[in-house]
Amino acid sequence: MADVMTESETDVAVVGGGPAGLHAALVLARGGLSVTLIDESDTLGGQYYKRRAEQLAVAFGDFRPRGTELIREVRDAGVVCRTGTLVWGAEDGGRTLFTSDVRTGVLGRVRARATVAATGAYERSLPFPGWTLPGVVTPGLALHLATMDRVPVGSRVVLAGTGPFLLPVACALLEAGAGIEALAELNHPYRPRPSAVAGALRQPARLAEAARYLLTLARHGVRVEQGARVLAAYGDTQVTAVDIAGADGTVRRVETDALCVGFGFRPSTELPRLLGCRTQPDRTGTEQLPVVDADGATSVDGLYVAGDCAGIAGVHAAGVRGQLAARAILRRLAPGRTPVRVAGLRRRARALDRFAALADRLYPLPAEAVADIPDATQVCRCEGVTAGEIRQAVATGWNDLHGAKAATRAGMGPCQGRECGHIVAALARRDEAEGFAARMPIRPLPMAATVEGQEVR
Amino acid sequence: MTQPDVIVVGAGILGASAAFHLAERGYRVVVLERGAPNREGSGTTAGNLHIQAIHTRRPGQEVPVDSARLLPLQLRASDHWSRIEEQLGADVELRRGGGFMVAETAAQEQELREKHEWERHAGIPTEVLTGDEARERLPLLSDRVRAASWCPLDGYANPLLITPAYLAAARRHGAELHPFTPVTDIRRVGDDYKVLSGDRSWTAPVVVNTAGPWITEISALAGIHIRMSPVAIQMHVTTRVPPVMHHLVQHIGEGMSVKQVSAGNLLIGGGWPAAGLDMAGRSTVSLPSMAGNLAQAGRILPFLGGLRLLRMWAGPLAATPDEMPVIGEVPGHPGFFVAGGTYAFTLAPVWGDTLCRRIAGEPPADPVDDLGPGRLLYDDATTPVSP
Repeated sequence: MADVMTESETDVAVVGGGPAGLHAALVLARGGLSVTLIDESDTLGGQYYKRRAEQLAVAFGDFRPRGTELIREVRDAGVVCRTGTLVWGAEDGGRTLFTSDVRTGVLGRVRARATVAATGAYERSLPFPGWTLPGVVTPGLALHLATMDRVPVGSRVVLAGTGPFLLPVACALLEAGAGIEALAELNHPYRPRPSAVAGALRQPARLAEAARYLLTLARHGVRVEQGARVLAAYGDTQVTAVDIAGADGTVRRVETDALCVGFGFRPSTELPRLLGCRTQPDRTGTEQLPVVDADGATSVDGLYVAGDCAGIAGVHAAGVRGQLAARAILRRLAPGRTPVRVAGLRRRARALDRFAALADRLYPLPAEAVADIPDATQVCRCEGVTAGEIRQAVATGWNDLHGAKAATRAGMGPCQGRECGHIVAALARRDEAEGFAARMPIRPLPMAATVEGQEVR
Repeated sequence: MTQPDVIVVGAGILGASAAFHLAERGYRVVVLERGAPNREGSGTTAGNLHIQAIHTRRPGQEVPVDSARLLPLQLRASDHWSRIEEQLGADVELRRGGGFMVAETAAQEQELREKHEWERHAGIPTEVLTGDEARERLPLLSDRVRAASWCPLDGYANPLLITPAYLAAARRHGAELHPFTPVTDIRRVGDDYKVLSGDRSWTAPVVVNTAGPWITEISALAGIHIRMSPVAIQMHVTTRVPPVMHHLVQHIGEGMSVKQVSAGNLLIGGGWPAAGLDMAGRSTVSLPSMAGNLAQAGRILPFLGGLRLLRMWAGPLAATPDEMPVIGEVPGHPGFFVAGGTYAFTLAPVWGDTLCRRIAGEPPADPVDDLGPGRLLYDDATTPVSP
């Protein structure tokens, strides 16, 4: 096992087994290249095509059967699937990936001729008073519990933040038996301007999906309160109440046992950034995105990005982008072997990108999101650093983002600023969007193997 | 202030210490820093307070440090450090938990004993323990430890706190700090030096060059050619764990230092080389160095194998070709002082005090003439050994 784990060569390494990675791997393998698909989780599927544990699948049925099918196709196509494997570092433009077995800590190295980073996204949290109380979670966690385990995150749930994602989460919560006390959507996406409606009409399937969710909510008597936001959460050992400010500014207190707050997603770009690819700010101006061509090729030769890692656009765009990146690699590494048609895919990708841009306009981040964080509120929960402490460090005049980190320890904890980095950056910003640099190890790395003297190279 | 008494170039720990000592004595001080203060070697170093002799070479280090020579300065540094938090009115996470330097072989044990003799002569309290005696004091040490020297004065201070604390104290005494102000030229104007940063300038009779790896570059602006041999070394830090160890653990045979910092993380270093020195940005870490350093640390402290590596980073070390510190006025260039080189972190309070006394025309507390920059000067026409 150790020998197998430590060294391997492949034509293409795909990092991330979600929709983008699965689609990319499938196209590549069917095109005749050897493919190694690496994912940190025990199972493929990523967040969207998440797998239920075996017994739960027997009890509750298959979750999103398209995912099961896709994973089977990938395996049947001969893709080497390395689940439970963390990519913690990379060099040489991604042609060398450093891995660690999540369970044993055994180190490995994968050499590839091209690499696809399909590392997905994180949920975006914005700190507010009380956000670190037990019982305050992201919508994604609530969805996971509801769909995988059929466990409602609470019985009187408050769902808040912004984004289309709140709707399926609300529906899944209802299906899992939760009561929804309030659904506070920060923006006004459901009485949009005519221009937005026109844009949405070009994606009838997405529109129908949203309508289905809204209908389900209406059937359960759940009203989407637009223009409403969470001000603070209260409780001693667990969240018990939430202050919600309505569109008209009136504040009401809602009793709750679970508060789910999320503000959309942020791309997980550590791997391409670690490899030094050129980046530019995304549409929100808060994240650095790899600069890519129509197929997802980055400025680093041989490194491609696909899926939300290339900019948040959702599952359908992820699949298309994965296929595009794969076809670009096929043209390069296996020219002439397969007829490669991409015009239709590119058109589809552009349409989905326009739809994502529309979503960004319908669900903008709160303008003063960071400025409004009270001084006493924790920003970096790993190290317990408040917004005030970071502001104070910046106010000295000699601390930029990195200085603020050094002065306060914000971003030095186990998540290495993955959660708070965008907030600290906004608090410390001197000129333009910048964030914490991506460093090895990308995730905390079990040291057992290294300490035993296992060679890294 | 455009006409200070002293212009300090570089806001690392040495510049900050010099600024503090000078400002405290009433000198009007301006500190110019090319980027953010404490960003480079001073902020990326391990933070060890080496009071027992540093006898170990970094991996790849060709010339040994003259360990015995440095001991009086280390003893002096020990005194300074024990007063530093009071002096600066700041918590710098100073810990004096003592330190082990371990030996795995008979030859290494012999080195420990020689080192112990020098330390005894210098008045530094150390004792040589058997492996079992050392394990009795620190049961985390492995059976591989054959002997260890113990010094109760060894310790640690947080590198992220000490330089800002020095700078804050210097500013309370009137010093001016200009971050993001790279020095672009230094001109002799009468008996003064005019130091420029773009279209801004400051003029003073004294310049202190504490620019670390940029010492050569800054000196050259004044027509002074000082040979330095900067390298990049790397550090490793684990995720936090509850307190398990309050000592510094080093190795006599190979570069290694391990300690637990106040936040609970284990910091593992030892001067292992990074992939290369990048003066324009952050140097890249070397994975073979990571593997080597962690394997060696884990051999001495096996519990490390149960931890997770959180982060690693590289930073510059302003080494000199002879691996000894450099401190003093440049011969032929009155008023132009340099401080840098080996073990600048431990020696920072001593160098700040020494520079201050020299500038005041007083003898330093310990003789340092042999460590002056004269030995590193080279002729304009010759090319220095490139780093």
